[in-house]
Amino acid sequence: MDYKYINKMLAEMDKDLSSKGLSRRDAMKLAGISGASLIMGGASSAEASTEAAPAVSTAKGKIVIVGGGLAGMSTAARLTLNLANPDITVIEPQALSVSYQPGQTLVAGGIWKESDIAYKRDDFVPSGVKLIKDKVIGFDPNNNKVTTASGEVVSYDYLIVATGLQLDFERIKGLEAAGRAYSSGDNSKLLKVLGDSGVCSIYTAEGATKTWEQMQKYVAQAKSGKKTQFVFTDPDTPVKCGGAPKKIVYLTNSRLKEAGARENAELTYYPNGGLMFGIPEYHDAILEQFKREGFKWHYRHNLVEVELENKIAVFDSKWQEKGRWDPMMRDFEVIGKHEKLRVPYDFLHITPPQIAPREIAESDIGSAGGWIPVNKETLQHIKFANIFAIGDIAQVPMGKTGGSVRKQYKVLVDNLIAKMEGKKMPSKYAGYTVCPLITSIGTVMLAEFDWTVKPTPSFPLDPLVERWVFWLMKVYALKPMTMYGMLSGRA
Amino acid sequence: MQVKFEFVIYDETLDKFEQDDNVYLLELNDEQILTYNLLKDKDLYLYNWFQESEFFITWIKENVYPQSIGKKIAISVIDDILFLRFYFFKVTSGDIHYEYFKKLFDIFHEANWQDREEVGEQILERLLIKRRELIIELKEGDTKDSNSKTSK
Repeated sequence: MDYKYINKMLAEMDKDLSSKGLSRRDAMKLAGISGASLIMGGASSAEASTEAAPAVSTAKGKIVIVGGGLAGMSTAARLTLNLANPDITVIEPQALSVSYQPGQTLVAGGIWKESDIAYKRDDFVPSGVKLIKDKVIGFDPNNNKVTTASGEVVSYDYLIVATGLQLDFERIKGLEAAGRAYSSGDNSKLLKVLGDSGVCSIYTAEGATKTWEQMQKYVAQAKSGKKTQFVFTDPDTPVKCGGAPKKIVYLTNSRLKEAGARENAELTYYPNGGLMFGIPEYHDAILEQFKREGFKWHYRHNLVEVELENKIAVFDSKWQEKGRWDPMMRDFEVIGKHEKLRVPYDFLHITPPQIAPREIAESDIGSAGGWIPVNKETLQHIKFANIFAIGDIAQVPMGKTGGSVRKQYKVLVDNLIAKMEGKKMPSKYAGYTVCPLITSIGTVMLAEFDWTVKPTPSFPLDPLVERWVFWLMKVYALKPMTMYGMLSGRA
Repeated sequence: MQVKFEFVIYDETLDKFEQDDNVYLLELNDEQILTYNLLKDKDLYLYNWFQESEFFITWIKENVYPQSIGKKIAISVIDDILFLRFYFFKVTSGDIHYEYFKKLFDIFHEANWQDREEVGEQILERLLIKRRELIIELKEGDTKDSNSKTSK
């Protein structure tokens, strides 16, 4: 871990705390947590300290990791710690692939700069790991080979797929020219299409900066006395961090209140689903926060079109009606209805539909839905025993966050090494994920949960309460834990 | 003790089930009553027990569908326990059936983004396999141990 970096973060945190008349010790007492866990993000401190000397396996085999983002690179790092003679190749085309994506909300809220979250792939390649700066465009799982865009054929004994997902802006009518985007990398096509239209998205790093620009513009408009419509979408696909589409609502609200412009603004959230959050306790808490802050919301609305020139968002609005009596089922049917709804906006934040990259979806390793079908507990491909998947591309429920990856990569490494040794796979992923839900500038509700669909808090605190100390953790502690803990394969 | 049964007939050509509107009564002996009472709260366990029991198959072959070797059927009702959802579920079926199948097939419904129709399609996909497990094919074989009385 980079202690210089942590010390710098701690100094900034101390400055912030002292401005509120608190020492770091006082803040920790308030939170009821230890200093180490505050810095490391809950249970991770214990894990990090006890995992300094992992058991090293002498198993051999050529491991290829397709995708060198947080999931791929952390997995590579941990494998180097756990294998005596690692033979690992990471294939990743993006120079900034390990950039800190959870910080994009903070960039969009004007708290961080884009440079605060930009990290170079080449600085995080573990020692001894071979890097191929190219994109895999073909998978041949029957012959254990992948092919890159430049035509290089790379063979493997074991394959780990960690490509992440794509942001499918082109599915939205009116934004076809934006194409598909990745969170990092060149998204100039997308930015060009969106321009200075009031339409933005925090789902790319550059887009987060653009969101902050647009937010300031329309906060100023509201401040000038003009009634201003802020509209926020949430699509009909899985998304990276289910809390992010709501975080941007809260951050916009904070900036409006700070500017004294809230009364001239209407904030409306249009999710495709019928809930604020998949975990009932967090759903209820968010609903209360929405009521408290005077937000509006309309469930079962999916953004299908944007008229940039007219500033109209078109939603597929869905509802259900009681249908006819079904004599065979001896029950009433439920009939789905839908219609197009045109909503005028000044500021439109789009959470784009999110899908598997074409090269995965159209290959033998992808499922009908595109994602890689894995055993959700072992992360092993359901058809090809020498293939594993991790992170956004893996077809596991609720698994598309950095917090999920922090649990998954340890499970994957344990299981892959067991497989290489011809042993039974010992580790199981239980669906844990975490979403530090920013509810204002200065407060976070730390939503932790797993497949039990219940809150699973790491701290002895009511998980439904919005806390300043979790804001401090989000702003100061989680990034070093991710960048220097996870990416070194230890936290 | 009499147990009420209803059946569906499977048409292999059309891959479709058709409800037999008749109700059939099967008389259970004391030992069978004990087993029945033990399993009656676990619908598929109860189904499997009947499906695997020689006395039940014999009763069907002799009393319910005589001279029907080769016929494929499935149980749709046992007393008040309905299995109709296995054969007639549609995407438009009511929420109670969705909840049942989500639990049975361990389908994780991410209700904060996922449409009901998408989950319905997943259920139908799983049912393609499950239905095959429930079908009872009436085959040639020993039918001496009926152990029961019937009425229609």
